[in-house]
Parts: sequence; structure tokens; C-alpha cells
Amino acid sequence: MRETIIRDVRHFIIENFLFGDSGNGLKETDSLLEKGIIDSTGVLELVSHLEETYGFRVEDEELIPENLDSIANVTGYILRKLPRESFGSLHA
Amino acid sequence: MTQFKGILLEHTLKICNRCILPETFPGIHFDAAGICNHCTREAPALAKAGERKEAYRRRLDDLIAGVRGSAPTYDAILAYSGGKDSSYTLKLLRDRYDLRILALTFDNHFISPAAAENIRTVTDRLLVDCVTFKPPWPILRDLFASAALEDVFPAPTLIRASAICTACISMVKSLVLKTALEMSIPLVAFGWSPGQAPIQSAIMRASSSLTCQSQKTLLEGLPGGLASGLGRYFLPDGYYEIFKDRFPHNVHPLAFFDYDEAEIVAELGKVGWKTPADTDTNSSNCLLNAFANQCHLQRHQFHPYVWEIANMVRQGVMSRDEGIQKIYTDQDPAQVGYARTMLGLQ
Repeated sequence: MRETIIRDVRHFIIENFLFGDSGNGLKETDSLLEKGIIDSTGVLELVSHLEETYGFRVEDEELIPENLDSIANVTGYILRKLPRESFGSLHA
Repeated sequence: MTQFKGILLEHTLKICNRCILPETFPGIHFDAAGICNHCTREAPALAKAGERKEAYRRRLDDLIAGVRGSAPTYDAILAYSGGKDSSYTLKLLRDRYDLRILALTFDNHFISPAAAENIRTVTDRLLVDCVTFKPPWPILRDLFASAALEDVFPAPTLIRASAICTACISMVKSLVLKTALEMSIPLVAFGWSPGQAPIQSAIMRASSSLTCQSQKTLLEGLPGGLASGLGRYFLPDGYYEIFKDRFPHNVHPLAFFDYDEAEIVAELGKVGWKTPADTDTNSSNCLLNAFANQCHLQRHQFHPYVWEIANMVRQGVMSRDEGIQKIYTDQDPAQVGYARTMLGLQ
């Protein structure tokens, strides 16, 4: 489950912010803001992707680096937001 | 793939058969039909674009209905350059929503005389208050010269804009946010074109902690001397906590309203806006832009506006021929020379 989400988040970041660059040097814990990969507007694009892909709403108070500033943080946030019953469908 | 020779670069340049992105664009690859990976990736989203734009228009209607008249003085602050897109955004917000707007113009010392006249005329005709913020020339000269000589911003940022433009826009974004917080203005509007920023980010509340981290990253990336001189144009540390609940919504309406350059120019003509003849093909207000483009082209081998224009071609709001004209035309040597001389970079 976690690996599937990590792959999706990494893929989204590579396609939308690294423009297809392989992102080989990007570690799961790297700060996306500090690395200059996304800015505060880019975060909103990421938020939109999460809402559309995972079907939950990101509340204003959840727009914090602890939820969104690295692949690991985003993955953890998604796992906390998703209802347990949806875990099986993400494996499909 | 379409090929050019002798234009822009001194060798044959292949570009996407659909959107005009060149082979020199980072991470690009083409299929057998000469269509780039970005066109292929965007196709499903483009198919749903009409429906999505309508949803965003309703969302803006609802947002404005909830905030109009609630703030002490202004409903919205607009980053107003006097260019075509921000002028049209100003007119749209006045005509459609009758908002009380404060237009904030950042004078970077390179506003074209024609743009300055447009700012005066349009704000007068639309009865909009306008303030101009002008930092001292030595500060901006050092910032722009530094950005001209080296990439002071991270590589991903420079895919979408030149270093000089990024430097300028970073200050603009920060100043309008700072003013919005200080004056309790609930909306911050920008005239980003439909190619500049995606629709997903077109209406969203600014986040205190994310803005804080973004700003910290930006300032830390600048050469030491520059960052200390620029600090006062950005949010003081205390603002993130003091104004935590006052962070405004950012909106850029041109991402989801009809966008046709000829119609926009005609509409703006009704409030006295005139197309400047003194700027480059990608700007209708700035005399620094051609030089900024030239620096970017030399360093990166692709035009800093190509991502934006390619998006607009793909979305069908600009013809491919027009896009090619805007991107694959050499920068005017006189404009490049003017800015270079001003910055002392002869």
C-alpha cells in the first residue's frame, strides 16, 4: 500500500515539476520546498492531485509542510486520510 | 517534428508538432508522430477542461459572494503591472463582480512609458485605487544583475520563467500578500495567463506555514549581500503567527475564463488600454523582459516563456503559428542592449 502511494507521488512530482527528469537524486525525505522543486503554488497543484486521485478533501489547516513537503510526508498524510476500506482498491 | 534553422539558435531545432516545445526543453521526448510527452500527458485533462472551467467560475462566484463587502476597505488586491493580462483581470473583477479593488503596481524601474500610461488610464476609467511600490534602484539593479549573471534560483523554477522574472515576481507576490495581511484584504488576484499556472491552483487559500517555508527557501538561496537588503520586502517572521487566520485566497481568474488575445485587447480598448509598441513579444509592460529572455536562452537553450505559450497552444487559446512567432523570434537587440546598459553589464 505505502509503496503504491510513494510511486504515485514520485511519478506526479517528476512529471509535473521535474518535467520528466528521472528524479533519481530525489530522496523520500527531501524537502520539496527547500530543494526548489515546488513553491507554494506548486503545493496547490499537488493538493489538487491528491483530492482527485484519492477522493478526500485537503482542509486549509492541513496545508502544512509536515503533510506536504516531502514524498514521505505526503505518503504519510495520504495514509492517515484514507479510510481503511480503500486500502485494498489501491493495490488493484 | 517541425524543424527550424537559423531562428533563435544557430542550428536546426526540432519542436513538437502540436505544442511548440523544443527538443532542448528539459526531459522532453517525442513519439513517432512528433508529439511530445507533455501533450500526451495533458490530453485527458484537456478533454475535461470546459467542464472544469465552468466549475471554477462557479467556485469564484461563491467565494466572492462570501467575502464581498466584509473587509474594512478593499475586497481584493491585484498585482497590477499594466500589462494586458493584469489589466483584463482588473476589468473582469470590476465588471463582473463590482469588487472594491486596490491595484498594487511594483515599479521595477523598467515599466515601459506606454504601460505607465495604461496604468493611469485604466485605473482612472475603472475607478480603482492604485498604489505604486518602488524599491531603490541600487537594490533592484544588484538583484537583476545577479540574476542575469547566474542562476540564483533552483533549476525547476527556471523551467517556467527566467531568473530575472522570478526575482521580480517573487517580490511582487510577497508585497501583495504583505499588504493584504496588513489591510485585511481577503482576496489576492493575479493576471496569470491560462498557460502560466494550471487551473488546479487558480483558487486556493494561501497557507501561512507553506508561505513561510517558501520565503525562507527563496531568501536563503540568494547570494548573502542580496538577501539582507531584500528582507524588508518579504513577510516578517511574526506575521505568520499574528495573521495566521487572515491569510487570503489567491485567485487567478484567467485560468478559467474565456481567453482570446484579440478579444481581450478589444475589450481593454473600451477602458483606454493601448497595446504598447515598446516591449518584446512576450510582455506588454516591461523593458527588462527581452534581456531576461536573452540571458535565459543563452544559459538554458530554451525560451523562458515556452512552457507558458506551449500550454496555451495546447489549450487552444492561442494558435500554433502565433506561439511560434512569440517564442522563435530573436530578441530585439535594442531592448536587450538598453537593459544591459542600465544594469551596468556591458
